[in-house]
Amino acid sequence: MQREVGTLPLAPALRARLAAAGFQTAQELLDTGPCGLSKEIGISREEALEALQVVRQECQGGAARPTGGSGATRTYTALELLEEEQSQGFIITFCSALDNILGGGVQLTKITEICGAPGVGKTQLCMQLAVDVQIPECFGGVAGEAVFIDTEGSFMVDRVVDIAAACVQHCHLIAEAQQEEDHRKALETFSLENILSHIYYFRCRDYTELLAQVYLLPEFLSEHSKVRLVVIDGIAFPFRHDFEDLSLRTRLLNGLAQQLIIVANDHKSAVVLTNQMTTRIGQSQSTLVPALGESWGHAATVRLIFHWDNSQRLATLYKSPSQKESTIAYHITSHGFRDVQPPAVTHSTEGTELNPRKRPRAREEQ
Amino acid sequence: MAAKKLRRAQLSQEMCERLSRYQITTCQDFLCLSLLELMKVTGQSYYEVQKLLCKVSRACAPKMQTAYEMKLRKSVNPSSAFLSTTLHGLDRVLHGGVPCGSLTEITSPPGCGKTQFCIMLSVLATLPVSMGGLDGAVIYIDTEAAFSAERLIEIAANRFPAYFDSDEKLLCMTRSIHLYRELTCCSVLKRIMSLEEEIISKKVQLIIIDSVASVVRKEFDTKLQGNLAERSNFLTRGASVLKYLAEEFSIPVILTNQITTSLSSGPGIRADLVSPVDDLSLSEGSRTKGNGQK
Repeated sequence: MQREVGTLPLAPALRARLAAAGFQTAQELLDTGPCGLSKEIGISREEALEALQVVRQECQGGAARPTGGSGATRTYTALELLEEEQSQGFIITFCSALDNILGGGVQLTKITEICGAPGVGKTQLCMQLAVDVQIPECFGGVAGEAVFIDTEGSFMVDRVVDIAAACVQHCHLIAEAQQEEDHRKALETFSLENILSHIYYFRCRDYTELLAQVYLLPEFLSEHSKVRLVVIDGIAFPFRHDFEDLSLRTRLLNGLAQQLIIVANDHKSAVVLTNQMTTRIGQSQSTLVPALGESWGHAATVRLIFHWDNSQRLATLYKSPSQKESTIAYHITSHGFRDVQPPAVTHSTEGTELNPRKRPRAREEQ
Repeated sequence: MAAKKLRRAQLSQEMCERLSRYQITTCQDFLCLSLLELMKVTGQSYYEVQKLLCKVSRACAPKMQTAYEMKLRKSVNPSSAFLSTTLHGLDRVLHGGVPCGSLTEITSPPGCGKTQFCIMLSVLATLPVSMGGLDGAVIYIDTEAAFSAERLIEIAANRFPAYFDSDEKLLCMTRSIHLYRELTCCSVLKRIMSLEEEIISKKVQLIIIDSVASVVRKEFDTKLQGNLAERSNFLTRGASVLKYLAEEFSIPVILTNQITTSLSSGPGIRADLVSPVDDLSLSEGSRTKGNGQK
């Protein structure tokens, strides 16, 4: 209640008038009442009433804080967070080696970034995840829907049809082997048509459309509350040209990252971004690093880098708060994203390969 | 979409006038500002500004489609999805031919036949649909001055002698192939920007750029500072316009690239221009990409 008038979210002109009239705290405003306020500052009664409603809303939100009521900020204990995290599902990728190094799959409420050279399989993984998020709970999925924001135009419907058909086939095999009632019921709704109808596709051609779409995302997600995955395929592409002012680019990217974190948390969905690689010219050699600069590296919680080793595709977990850095091999078949037979998990011997600034992890006893 | 004026985003007249005093006239300017800056510029409260942001975003945001709707739309006219190359092995690997609506890149060492392939595809595109063509004109942007009209006629006459039985038919075909010689990056970009109107007026069904690599390598020496950024700027700008044209008109766009040697311990031959251009890569000289990739 002692909140200063200058910190309230009112129009700047109104704030200036209140300051000129000598108002200092929010309590003073509430005590004056709309008629008194309108006479003192010289605004209409309706405007005064609106201003007071805003003030009341702000102050009530603040008063409810210590009791842990519903508001913008709530305090959690670590135990509550642990219970929440343990009951949360993962979105599996159908490549068990990749799921293992991620700790179960793509995590909900976190931002995962996939970087890689063109052609290595980033969009394939995104399409696979858009199908896998819809797997019913009795088969181990999260039974959600997917939003696919495409900036590069690399989304191929026919490919999604192939992947979805293989996924449905896989679930049918499990249901036949286990013969349980809820499996059969779930399979009735888990059809190709349903899977495709629950992938919401947006094609953004430049960064303005991308910004606009991300601003509208919270509204869209509240209307479609079953969405559990938001994919932005190609977050780098619209930002790599037409930007003479790099500080504007950094600011826009940071704003975008913050909005995506809010979306991921409030709607309990996973956010997956794909990034490109760029060459960093060093003194003696040039290396391939993720695009969009160093500061963008902080935006994602989990970072995967896809690369080639001769003709084998490899995925490296480069940044994760809870899992160890490791590299695995994967395959892209006509059914989608799969393991290499047999699945091989190798721990990288030198963490310094990809990032010379990271301290190498001491080799642990297995 | 970015240059859309705020007037058309259904903002009130006085709001637009007020914003134009700060040089904010397009949706792009509006969306690039932070919330605090918007509050200062519009003179509105926090919640009002959020509502305004949603309004402007709705004016710019793309339309939603479900994947199911996209599939239905594709299945309505399947024949126009590919341009068959008439090479059966290649068509089989590509699941039909060169796809319409996306960019295709052809890479190889010199002398393997990229320009010949492009010339042949130009002939194919002018053929009627019943013969596997697209029944339309071709825009051929030539940066190496390698296009030969005589070779074009030779291919057409020998490959389809039954169809091109008279000189008029040949002349008619050559009239629908529009050749542009561009020798600098700047002029290539300008030409790409002007293509939209040409496509509509000339009923173009195929765009070929032969080759992107030669102009880029001529002008940008990647060892000099700042050139890498400019080069990638040029490439992504061109790529995004070409993608827009390919998707908007559902036509194939073909680009040719060159091979460079990468001096690492990895595979010796690698395509130049690690660019975001390619949706599909047909590498004739180097390794082919893996299976399952469309």
